[in-house]
Amino acid sequence: MSTISRKTLDGAQLAIFANRFEGISSKMGNTLLRTGRSGVLNRAKDFSCCILTAGHELLAVAESLPIHVLSGPDIMARSMVGFHPQLRRGDAFLHNSPYHGCSHPADHTIIMPVIDDDGVHRYTVLAKAHQADIGNSIPTTYHGTARDVYEEGALIFPAVQVLKDYRTIDDIVRMCALRIRVPEQWHGDFLAMLGAALIGEREILALGKEAGWDRLDAFARQWFDYSEKRMIDAIRAVPAGTGTAQSTHDAIPGTPPQGITITSTVTVDTGAAIIEVDLRDNPDQMACGLNVSESCTRTAAYIGIFNSIDHTVPKNAGAMRRVRLHLKDGGVVGIPRHPISCSASTTNLADRITSATQRAMAELGEGFGMGEVGCFCPPSCSVVSGKDPRTGKQYVNQLYLGHTAGAGAPHQDAWLTMLHVGNGGMCFIDSVELDEIYTPIHVRTRRLIPDSEGAGRYRGAPGIEVEFGPVDCDMEAGFVADGNVHVPQGARAGLSSAPSDQLLRRADGTTRKLAQSSLIRIASGETLVSIAQGGGGYGDPKTRDPQRVRHDVRERLISRARAAEIYRVAITEAGEIDYAGTARLRP
Amino acid sequence: MRFACDTGGTFTDLIVEDDALGLRMYKAATTPYDPVQGVLNALRLAAADNDLSLAELLGRGDMLIHGTTHAINAIITGNTAKTAFLSTAGHPDVLVLREGGRIEPFNFTVPHPKPYVPRALTFEVPERIDSAGRVHTPLDEAAVLAIIERLCAAGVEAVGVCFLWSIRNPAHELRVGELLAEHLPQVPFTLSHRLNPALREYRRASSTVIDASLKPLMSRYLGGFTEQLAKAGFRGRTLVLTSQGGMLDARDIADKPIHAINSGPSMAPIAGRHYAALDSAASNVIIADAGGTTYDVSLVRAGRIPLTKETWIGQPFRGHMTGFPSIDIKSVGAGGGSIASVDAGGLLHVGPQSAGADPGPACYGTGGTEPTLTDASVVLGYLDPAYFLGGTMKLDPVAAARAIEEKVARPLGIGLKDAAAAIVDVATENMVQAITDITVNQGIDPAAAVLIGGGGAAGLNSVRIARRLGCPVLIIPETGAGLSAAGAIMSDLSNEYRATLFTTSANFDRAGVNAVLAGLRRNCEAFIGGSGRGAVSTAIDYTVEARYAGQVWEIEVPLAVAEFTDDGQLASLAGAFHAMHEQIFAIRDPGSVIEFVGWTATARCRLHESEAGRLRPGARHSAGATRRIYIAGEGEVEAAVHDFESMETGREHVGPAIVESPFTTVVADRATRFARAASGSLVLRP
Repeated sequence: MSTISRKTLDGAQLAIFANRFEGISSKMGNTLLRTGRSGVLNRAKDFSCCILTAGHELLAVAESLPIHVLSGPDIMARSMVGFHPQLRRGDAFLHNSPYHGCSHPADHTIIMPVIDDDGVHRYTVLAKAHQADIGNSIPTTYHGTARDVYEEGALIFPAVQVLKDYRTIDDIVRMCALRIRVPEQWHGDFLAMLGAALIGEREILALGKEAGWDRLDAFARQWFDYSEKRMIDAIRAVPAGTGTAQSTHDAIPGTPPQGITITSTVTVDTGAAIIEVDLRDNPDQMACGLNVSESCTRTAAYIGIFNSIDHTVPKNAGAMRRVRLHLKDGGVVGIPRHPISCSASTTNLADRITSATQRAMAELGEGFGMGEVGCFCPPSCSVVSGKDPRTGKQYVNQLYLGHTAGAGAPHQDAWLTMLHVGNGGMCFIDSVELDEIYTPIHVRTRRLIPDSEGAGRYRGAPGIEVEFGPVDCDMEAGFVADGNVHVPQGARAGLSSAPSDQLLRRADGTTRKLAQSSLIRIASGETLVSIAQGGGGYGDPKTRDPQRVRHDVRERLISRARAAEIYRVAITEAGEIDYAGTARLRP
Repeated sequence: MRFACDTGGTFTDLIVEDDALGLRMYKAATTPYDPVQGVLNALRLAAADNDLSLAELLGRGDMLIHGTTHAINAIITGNTAKTAFLSTAGHPDVLVLREGGRIEPFNFTVPHPKPYVPRALTFEVPERIDSAGRVHTPLDEAAVLAIIERLCAAGVEAVGVCFLWSIRNPAHELRVGELLAEHLPQVPFTLSHRLNPALREYRRASSTVIDASLKPLMSRYLGGFTEQLAKAGFRGRTLVLTSQGGMLDARDIADKPIHAINSGPSMAPIAGRHYAALDSAASNVIIADAGGTTYDVSLVRAGRIPLTKETWIGQPFRGHMTGFPSIDIKSVGAGGGSIASVDAGGLLHVGPQSAGADPGPACYGTGGTEPTLTDASVVLGYLDPAYFLGGTMKLDPVAAARAIEEKVARPLGIGLKDAAAAIVDVATENMVQAITDITVNQGIDPAAAVLIGGGGAAGLNSVRIARRLGCPVLIIPETGAGLSAAGAIMSDLSNEYRATLFTTSANFDRAGVNAVLAGLRRNCEAFIGGSGRGAVSTAIDYTVEARYAGQVWEIEVPLAVAEFTDDGQLASLAGAFHAMHEQIFAIRDPGSVIEFVGWTATARCRLHESEAGRLRPGARHSAGATRRIYIAGEGEVEAAVHDFESMETGREHVGPAIVESPFTTVVADRATRFARAASGSLVLRP
């Protein structure tokens, strides 16, 4: 196009190139969703794709899971170049090392450099996908109680070459086939990731040919500057000051008996237009799988900030120039060191970092921050495994049978299906019918729980009850639930949500409470009962719009008693607002 | 004489086909409160044009094909019936939870969508079928009767019933249907397994309740429509366009009104396929329909019009999924009325907000002050302010310039013309992205496709879009401004039948597959012998949805045979699948088993002998003049102005030029060669 031949791009051209890179990134994602073999990819969409510059700066992340990509891909790409200084076209690498920038070992990632006709490394594309299994010592990708990476048992790939001249290096594939459960499923997902990376590479090569590499470089520079400017404006809209908040993960084996308390201190300097997040005042790394990798520590802090400010700021390396993070070397959050385990690094404790950060932001002023989002990982999101009696074949897969988790925001009620805060609601919820056909289970119940939300001017999501069990066989289920004890807190006088819980229902109908971090065998006739929680509210529930309260009562999300007691709104039996009664309750 | 009438958001397009006289196109304003009036007004224009009374014109008609936005408008404005949802006990939140998913993960200002049917009108029915189709919990009929009493008390006007695994064993849904018919005889209902026998309970439930909620109003609308036309003198058959690009008798649509949701836009690809074939050998066609508020893109792939199962009403994850196949149309908020604005960081945005018809673009002079794509086209000299809609509407170039100067040029620190050109650039890019999205999903390379520009606003930047995509040929049909109505005139009566049979390439159930295909063929033949009676020709197409083992999303592969008699046919089907998978997704997995899941047969009945004819020209417009226009990268140029309808055929021209008709304006820049083809279309080579 003739109009994009000038040196400096104008606003229109910037928008055009930004769209093109986002378009390429979403095309990669579409490929992964449609070609993935495991339910965690093709039903739940637990994957992300992004594009980095040759200088390892995050450029485009269309429709990705926030916890996967905001920070980490930069470190991973840098480690790829460090281990393989001579990159050639047609190379690709498998990377899942949390000690070299990956989120956690379950997130197998294909990194592929985009090399132009002159052999110059121009961009890096990255396809990251949570696997159904990675060869851990037990059949779950979240080994919450692993003392170290050896007990965890994950195969770790620190940017290991798997593609040369566009041909797969079969040595690696053979290795994985002997160490990963249901290997043909893993291989299908591996091909899906390769396909996504190849699509991204092909598209960027075509774009470079069309627009010219120099112009694309100019675009990237200007796009980062534009994003930084938007970030400066967004930061200056926040009241200056310092806020501190804490969020505590429940105790599991390997943690102190009081659990793990995460402290986040956020300082907004509107003059310099910088946000600093200090995460150094936190415990040392622990002999369990909850340690948060550097990638996830950084990302969790970024999510807490981006959830709390103008959402239209583009999320890329330019915007992040305005955020300073202070991490602890060897911390349980920060930079955990090998061989400590980061098995559940993307969810449990990472969510607590985000929760503390966005509540600290909320302390700075009305209209910012957010309540704490509901905790992960309840039994409804178990990794299940066993032998399917209908086919006689082994299966392993993570279910996404239902989680709500959303928290109240400054101007809106919770997004119901957030899953957990690092996910941002991007994952899908499994269809009961699909799960029952692909896994030998029967889902008895999936329903929202009335009166369980974190109340507020804008309320959190209600919790959800899911009950399911194996059909004509035994099944193993692994999960690491949080939020039984330390429930998600509200922000700015918003209230907390109800606790989560996990039970086993025996064949005779009686129940017993399960440990929060469990790998349990469920017999035919028994069921798992998963109580997953919503998030905290935002603002004082006594200031909630009575029309919203009336709507929730009519929709049977809250009872009339709760409307009166917590929200101080009187609702008649017919579901109308009793204005006189409400005036008495809200003097 | 046949009529095709497409009621859109702003205009009602009418195409009249007369065996002797060819086609004529008319546009009347849409009358949202009583859409039949808009149709009758357009018919009156046609009657006057032919020196006939309305009754005389209608008396000559043997068929009227209607595209309507009535169903979709009712959903968008919340005017559907008060509908109840009956669900399997234990699973009341199917419509609340949906399938999860979200766009804009950091945007907490957008509320989670309300369920299509509120929880307050959702009723759990004690029953459960398991995944093998066995009765796990028997239907509690007493409980159903109690629920029916509550439906009655609540004044429910329609009922949707969707139970888990009813597609494996429909007994419980059928029995509830009997009880509803008996005890709530006035209230229409929809059973999920009958309407949409597809796996995934949310999609099936969603189509079920949407369908039920449309039944009362679509019965009324279509009843009134046929009655008023009859009163005005029409004795012929009334057909309604479906979302799947076919048409059904009005009474059949009233029974399954969900099929009318994309009625209208679904016809554009049919017209596009027709016009592409006349002037190009390309088998892949991109059809763009540029209206006032949206830009609708659809495709023809290897001669076929692909369908999608993921049709959303509203934005993905924020609207409702119809759960129903429809012609794959990608719609973005980019049209003549799209508003341009500059954000705090200095980035230019165009759309998705639209000035619509009210207040309209600034140049309409009807109160609009925001700059739009139409205003930019006036400032750049593309639109003749005195000849908009053939001169029936005068545009105000001063107001257009003022809006762009204040809201775009000054904030960006650039000149007025550059600002207007930038608006066209960004709108162009949004449109290109929409085309890219859909071509990616369908595995089409735009560089090997022909682009059809339809809709009144298409000509403004279609050359630029074609060049950006690398499309070698752009075709603007002479009926392009009413592309959907033109498509309706040339479309076939069609109906689609689907069946589920799971089998694999490793253990192919040849007998089972052949039985399924034979059953589908019988359905098609019954349709052809019933609704299709009198057709001049008929055809049945077969496809299968297939995937690699473990995948859950299928791709659709055409079947070369309707019966499998030897292993070679299976091998070529597998080969076709591997090739298509690699074409779309860059990889193939020859070692993997292929699973075949859904089998489809489509019956098509051609109801008329002739191919669509040529447009009869209207009064000649003052051609031969030149106009100063501004083209990005070229600056101010003197462009020749041609009259579309009276242009000499076969003669090649070179830009810069403008080609005008009462309904559209085509801009060709210096590098573009173009000619009017014998087909009547304008064929451009960017």
